[in-house]
Amino acid sequence: MKKQNRLGSRLLVGLMFLFLYAPILLLIIFSFNQGDSSAVWQGFSLHWYASLFKNRLIMESVYVTLLVSLLATVISTVAGTFAAIGLYSLRRRHREALMTVNNIPMMNADIVTGVSLCLFFVAFFQLWGRFARWCNGAQDLFELPERLVLGFGTLLLAHIAFNIPYVILNVAPKLRQMDRNLMNAAQDLGCTWLQAFYKVMLPEIKPGIVSGALIAFTMSIDDFIISYFTAGSASSTLAMTIYGMTKKRVTPEINAISTLLFVTVLLLLTITNLREARQERQASQRSPRRSALWEKLNASPAWRQARRAGTGILACGLAIALLLLGRATASQDVVNVCSWGEYIDTELIDQFEAETGIRVNYQTAESNETLYSLLKSGGADYDVIVPSDYMIAQLIEEGMLGELDYSQIPNFSLVDQRFRNLSYDPENKYTVPYAWGTLGIIYNTSMVDEEITSWEVLYDDRYAGDVLLINNSRDAIGEALFYLGYSPNTDDEAEIREAYELVAGANSRGVFQGRVMDEIYQKMEGGNAAISTYYAGDYLSMLENNEDLAFVIPEEGSNWFVDAMCVLKDAPHYDAAMAWINFIASTEANLANMDYIGYASANREALEQYPAYYEELYEEPLDPELYEIMVTPPEILERCEAYLNLSPATRSLYNALWTQLGI
Amino acid sequence: MSKELIRLRNLCMAYDDELVLDHLNLYINDQEFLTLLGPSGCGKTTTLRIIGGFATPTSGDVLFDGVRMNDVPPHRRQINTVFQKYALFPHLNVFENIAFGLRMQRRPDPQDPRRKLKLPETEIRARVEEMLEVISLKGFENRRPDALSGGQQQRVAIARALVNRPKVLLLDEPLGALDLKLRKDMQIELKRIQQQVGITFIYVTHDQEEALSMSDTIVVMDKGTIQQIGTPEDIYNEPKNAFVADFIGESNIIDGIMVQDHLVQMYGRQFPCLDSGFAPGEPVDVVIRPEDIDIVPVEQGQLTGTVTSVTFKGLQYDIIVDFRGFKWLIQTTDHSPVDARIGIKLDPDSIHIMKKSQYSGMFGDYSSFSEEYEELDEVGEESGDEE
Repeated sequence: MKKQNRLGSRLLVGLMFLFLYAPILLLIIFSFNQGDSSAVWQGFSLHWYASLFKNRLIMESVYVTLLVSLLATVISTVAGTFAAIGLYSLRRRHREALMTVNNIPMMNADIVTGVSLCLFFVAFFQLWGRFARWCNGAQDLFELPERLVLGFGTLLLAHIAFNIPYVILNVAPKLRQMDRNLMNAAQDLGCTWLQAFYKVMLPEIKPGIVSGALIAFTMSIDDFIISYFTAGSASSTLAMTIYGMTKKRVTPEINAISTLLFVTVLLLLTITNLREARQERQASQRSPRRSALWEKLNASPAWRQARRAGTGILACGLAIALLLLGRATASQDVVNVCSWGEYIDTELIDQFEAETGIRVNYQTAESNETLYSLLKSGGADYDVIVPSDYMIAQLIEEGMLGELDYSQIPNFSLVDQRFRNLSYDPENKYTVPYAWGTLGIIYNTSMVDEEITSWEVLYDDRYAGDVLLINNSRDAIGEALFYLGYSPNTDDEAEIREAYELVAGANSRGVFQGRVMDEIYQKMEGGNAAISTYYAGDYLSMLENNEDLAFVIPEEGSNWFVDAMCVLKDAPHYDAAMAWINFIASTEANLANMDYIGYASANREALEQYPAYYEELYEEPLDPELYEIMVTPPEILERCEAYLNLSPATRSLYNALWTQLGI
Repeated sequence: MSKELIRLRNLCMAYDDELVLDHLNLYINDQEFLTLLGPSGCGKTTTLRIIGGFATPTSGDVLFDGVRMNDVPPHRRQINTVFQKYALFPHLNVFENIAFGLRMQRRPDPQDPRRKLKLPETEIRARVEEMLEVISLKGFENRRPDALSGGQQQRVAIARALVNRPKVLLLDEPLGALDLKLRKDMQIELKRIQQQVGITFIYVTHDQEEALSMSDTIVVMDKGTIQQIGTPEDIYNEPKNAFVADFIGESNIIDGIMVQDHLVQMYGRQFPCLDSGFAPGEPVDVVIRPEDIDIVPVEQGQLTGTVTSVTFKGLQYDIIVDFRGFKWLIQTTDHSPVDARIGIKLDPDSIHIMKKSQYSGMFGDYSSFSEEYEELDEVGEESGDEE
């Protein structure tokens, strides 16, 4: 009976750990997968790790992460240690009150800390702007920068801010354990306060300082949410880059970098815990268990010198390595680009930098809407952004874009006539197309017997539970509008409500398995759903992992969209931005991007040359059917309609209906 | 021996409006063993900290050889301290603990007086070894403090201070953490060391026995003021007021009236005594030490009372006797049973007369006498303070 109980509890513990660690284990295993599926094992390989080190976005964010973590650790350790010493010299009542205040930020939700820091910085920048303008107007001796933005500085400040409490928490107990008279004794024997601090207090509280620093470093490496709100446009940490990459799909590359991140944090925590365990053991044993040799070594001045020299060399080496890394990524001219995740062949960035000497600071946003709110908050200082058509119209309407200098963009002449002077930019003063594509139905031919030609299947009870609804009100309601024969840009409330009822009806009958965005990749590749709607370029990526998938643009018509490069008004690096846009508009860049992202280009030459380019690259001919899906032929494109910027009233109607839908 | 070394002038110290020292005046001679004695919170440790430089007085002056020292930091004073609980450096071994002060010392280069030199390693080694000899801890050089006994740690702490050859050594309840037997040994040891090195010791304690057995001069303090300064004999035999009489040794303190010089009246009877200089009819406190009382048969007694309790103390019995509602402590070698009526006789030289003070009536009655009276735990005085 008893034995069984023990077995039962062991089983329970085992299950618990399995539950805790199985996902991470799976991630680690699949980071060594040869293929790029995260469900099917295709053999052991390290090539995802290799490609990781070639990915400059990742390497750059690794550099930012290391730099910010190290700097924040050093600064917060010094500040936190002295803060703890200050606290320690206070009367107990005040000290305990302050310790409580110190503990609150650690318990506080990261998101609250992040948002409040972001608000604080933005508010400060506004005040600073006013002050700087007044100051610059009042005198000519020096000029203060008027516009400050979120960036590495604010990221560092935020990290220091959330690290200090952890350092204090680790140092304070060591100070409490220390005999209060030790410092007095040292001063009594001829030390100044600072000498006494170095010779007596520091050795006493060093274990606390080191564990404080280790925890702070771990927290810094680990942090996503606070960084996300305070890093602004110019820097992104590793966690932020990973998050940006997962927008499309979880590639094995992400598995690899996550594995490395997990192992790093695990290692740091293990070191911290081992240290603590050793200290406890020493404290309980009274006399430290150190070998006589160790004592003797420590007593010899030569060894002490050697140890000190070793520490110095290590520190110098680290600093030099960081500097070199920094040199590699820092140069005079910069262009800040904000695009979408997995939306560029990163080799193009290296190529551009090598050709022009301009450093590209490449960031990604999640959606047009987040980009919009980021721009509105004034926290970003991008030069080039790549919004979609309807968002471009809105940005132009609100006067947020700057006109392009087409004399600096000779490659604009390569843009096909079809993609000039489009509705969002009728006089073509603000934009150069980046890529375009269509929305369509993706279905699994092994699960669907018929050939789909209409949006109707989305609302059809025969496929109940097998249909994925796109989690984006504009597309979901737009599809219904197309099916009903209305324009996706209608402002007629009755039409929109009718479309909504169609979606809501199917929803209440259980047709939809879920409302998803990037999960579509996993679901469709794994055969977990039969029908979904997504973009043509993404379909091509999915096809590589599941040959049964088919794509169709329904006969009722669909959305076609253009993402175009624009420059923000008052962009700080206007000329560099022009150079970047011209470079990306070149035929070579367009070919590389088409191949990498699977979306069609607007470059006339690239469209013509792509099949040949593909054949040369992969040594097999490009399937013309696939090419037609990538580059929708004119006769199908005729059925398609671009989204226009909706009126505010219609936009809020969309929002209200979408919230009402639930699921 | 009688050269003045330190003078405290009108010293006041206040923490948060609470007056800890109240216009303290005191001088300390060279090579003197001076003890600051008093109960918890009397200001003795604060006085020591001011002399050591760890606290700055709110007002008043600290003079060292006639020079004002108030703002001189601790490391510039020719004073070293032995702290409560020793405050040895846990990360250093015995040798390095003792050598700590020497390693901090700098002396001018004889060739170039502008340059300061460290002490040569050979001199440091020699002086530390000499100190190890003084404290009889040779062979313990490489031990860490936490591998030493309390008494050994105590001696290391003393050596660490003395090795710097200070003019003054401050000792803050240095024996407080030791057990009774060790404490007695260390008292003798301390006195020996002081005589050997020949420097001034300023010693803080709340233990009157320690003070009596070691000091040249005792300063009795209470509530931030000095109650009496004197040799141990003076303090014991001629206490200035009821506080001192009660704090030093055991005392029966009885209300009396001075009839004339050499004659005091208590319990309605007149007793001859040796004191003079009081106004006739002046109310006074009469101190009678428990060991100075002779027990005699009732019919011969100047006073008669009833024994209420008897405690065997080894050398003598402590008996409590009720004299008309006021309980006396009498130490005697003769056994008297509880409830026995006894008489007592007081010689003139066993009676000591004091002027009335704020402490009159607060001490002297042994009605609440208990076994623990001597063991009252006063260790940790001011250590709980946050300063």
